[in-house]
Amino acid sequence: MIPARGAWHGFRMAGILALLGAAAFPLYWMLVTSLTPSSDLFADSARIWPKFSEVGVYADAFRTTGIARWVGNSLIVAVGTTLVSLALAIFPAYALSRFRFRGMTLVGLGLFITQMLPEAMLVVPLYAIFGDLALLNTLTGLILANVAFTVPVITWILKGAIDGVPIDIEEAARIDGCSRLDIVLAVVLPLVAPTLAAAAVIAFFHGWNEYVFAQTLISDQELRTASVGLAGFVGELSTPIHTVMAIGLMYTLPAVIFYLFVQRYVVAGMTAGGVKG
Amino acid sequence: MTSGSADSGRLEGSRWTPYLFVAPVAVYLLVFQGYPLLQELFLSFTSTSLLAPAQHTFVGAANYTDLATTTDFRKVLWITALYTAACVVLAIGLGLLTALLLNSPFHGRGVARAMVTIPWAAPPVAVALIFVWIYNAQYGIFNRVLRYLGFASGTENWLDNPSLALPAILITTVWQIFPFASVVILSALQGVSEELRDAAVIDGADRLSVFKAVVWPTIQPTVMLLALFITIWSLRRFDLIWLMTQGGPIGSTNTLVIELYRRAFVYRDLGQAAAVGMVGLSIALAVTVVYFRLTIRTERAKGQR
Repeated sequence: MIPARGAWHGFRMAGILALLGAAAFPLYWMLVTSLTPSSDLFADSARIWPKFSEVGVYADAFRTTGIARWVGNSLIVAVGTTLVSLALAIFPAYALSRFRFRGMTLVGLGLFITQMLPEAMLVVPLYAIFGDLALLNTLTGLILANVAFTVPVITWILKGAIDGVPIDIEEAARIDGCSRLDIVLAVVLPLVAPTLAAAAVIAFFHGWNEYVFAQTLISDQELRTASVGLAGFVGELSTPIHTVMAIGLMYTLPAVIFYLFVQRYVVAGMTAGGVKG
Repeated sequence: MTSGSADSGRLEGSRWTPYLFVAPVAVYLLVFQGYPLLQELFLSFTSTSLLAPAQHTFVGAANYTDLATTTDFRKVLWITALYTAACVVLAIGLGLLTALLLNSPFHGRGVARAMVTIPWAAPPVAVALIFVWIYNAQYGIFNRVLRYLGFASGTENWLDNPSLALPAILITTVWQIFPFASVVILSALQGVSEELRDAAVIDGADRLSVFKAVVWPTIQPTVMLLALFITIWSLRRFDLIWLMTQGGPIGSTNTLVIELYRRAFVYRDLGQAAAVGMVGLSIALAVTVVYFRLTIRTERAKGQR
C-alpha cells in the first residue's frame, strides 16, 4: 500500500467531493427550480435552496399536464422492452457461447453493426414497415423498435457471462436426462442471474429514455411517452419554468432512485459479463 | 473463460441446435435493422421526398457527389470529428480520474460510487431540459455564478453563440457519460496486481511512475475498448444535441446525425439524408476496423516481448 499522507488524503477527498457535487448538481437544480416561486426565478439573485411550501406545483403539474399518463406509458414501454429483450437474447447468447457453427462470425458482426446505426437514420424506413404491420401508433410497436437496439448489447453481455459457467455443470444435468432447453432455462440462467439483472436494467433504461422513435412512431396524444411529453417543453416559454422542472423531476427521479437501488448489481453483472469483450 | 468454446465439440445435440437458437433474433434484426438499412442504402441513390416516400427517382451517386462538393458538409464532418474526439478524451479523462479517486477504500466509498453514476441514469431529454435552463443567458445559474465571480462571459447566451454552443453541449455530454467510463475503468482497476504495485513502491517509484508501469498496462485494453464505444455512441448521439440547439446556431453543433435528421424532416429530402447516414456508418465502420487492427498489433507486440 502507498502510505496515505495527510495532504494527499485531503486533496483526494476534495476531488471526490467536487466530482460528487458536479454529478448531483443538475438534478438538485431541477428540484430547486421546481420549488421556487415564479417571481423569484427571474429575480436579480438566485434562490439556491428549495422552498418546500411551493410543493403544490407538483400537484398542479399532475393535474394540468399529461405527466401521469406519459410516465405510465414510459413504464409500459420500458417493462415491455426489458421482457422482450431478455426473452429474445437468452438463446442466441447461449448459442454464441457454447457452439461453434458456420455463420457465427456473421452473427457477431451483425450484432456489433447495430450499435453504429442511429435511430434517426432507420426511422424513415421503419415508419413504412410499421405502417404495413399495423404497428404505428401502438406501444407494442414502440417496444419492438426499441428491442432491436437493446437485444444486440444484451446478447453480447449474456454471452460473456455464460462463457464463465463451467461446462461440467451442464454435462451433469445432461446425464440426468435434461433437454437442452431445460439446461438453458433451469441450469445456466440461474447461474448468470446477476448479469441477467444487469441486462434487464440496461433494457429498461433504454425503453424509459428513448425519444426518437417515440416522437416519430406515435402520434396519438394518449400514447405519448414522458420523453416526448417533456421534450415539448424544452425552450418553450408559455408553461411556467417551475412546472416544467417539476414534470422533468417526476420523470427523472423514479429512474435515478431505481438506478441507485440496482446499480451495484449492474456493475457486478457487467463485470461478470465481461464488458472487456 | 474459454472452457465453453474449447469443450463445445463434446456437446451433443443436433447440428441445427445453434441455428434454432439464433434464428429468432436473426429474423428479428433482419426485419427491424437489416431491411431498413438496405432501404436507406437504396434511398441514398435516389431522389425521394418525405412527402411521397414511395416515389423514387434514381439519381446514381449524385447525392454523394453533392455532399463531397459542398463546404457545408465539410463543416458537418469537422464538427462531428471535433465533438467525437472531445467526448472520448474528456469522458475517459474524467472517468479515469474518478475511478482512481474512488478505487482505494475510504469511509462512504460505496455511497460515493453510487452517487457518481447519477448522471448516467438521468434521461437525456430531462438532461437537455435542465441544462438549457442552467445555460439561460440572464437567469441561468451558470451565468449567475460567472457574473458573481466577475467573468465577462457571464452575460453570454451560451447556446445561441456559435463559438460557445459546442463547448456547452460538450460539457453536458461529458457530464452525462463520464460515469459510465468511470464504472468500466473502476472494474478494470480490480485487475491491477497489488504485489507489482507494492514492489514498485518499495523500489521508490512515485505515484506517476507506478501508474505508468503497473496500472496503465493492465487497464489499457479496457480503456481502448471504451474509447471505441464512446466514439461510436458520440457519432450517433441525437436527443441531447437536437433538443438543446437543433444543430445551430449557424450549424456550429451540426453533427452528422443532426444533419441527417434535418435533411429528412426539415428539408424533406430522404435521398440526401440517407447519403449522410451512409457516410456516418462508413466512418463508424472505419473507426472499428482501425481499432481492431491496432488491438491485434498491440497484442502481437506484447507477445514478442
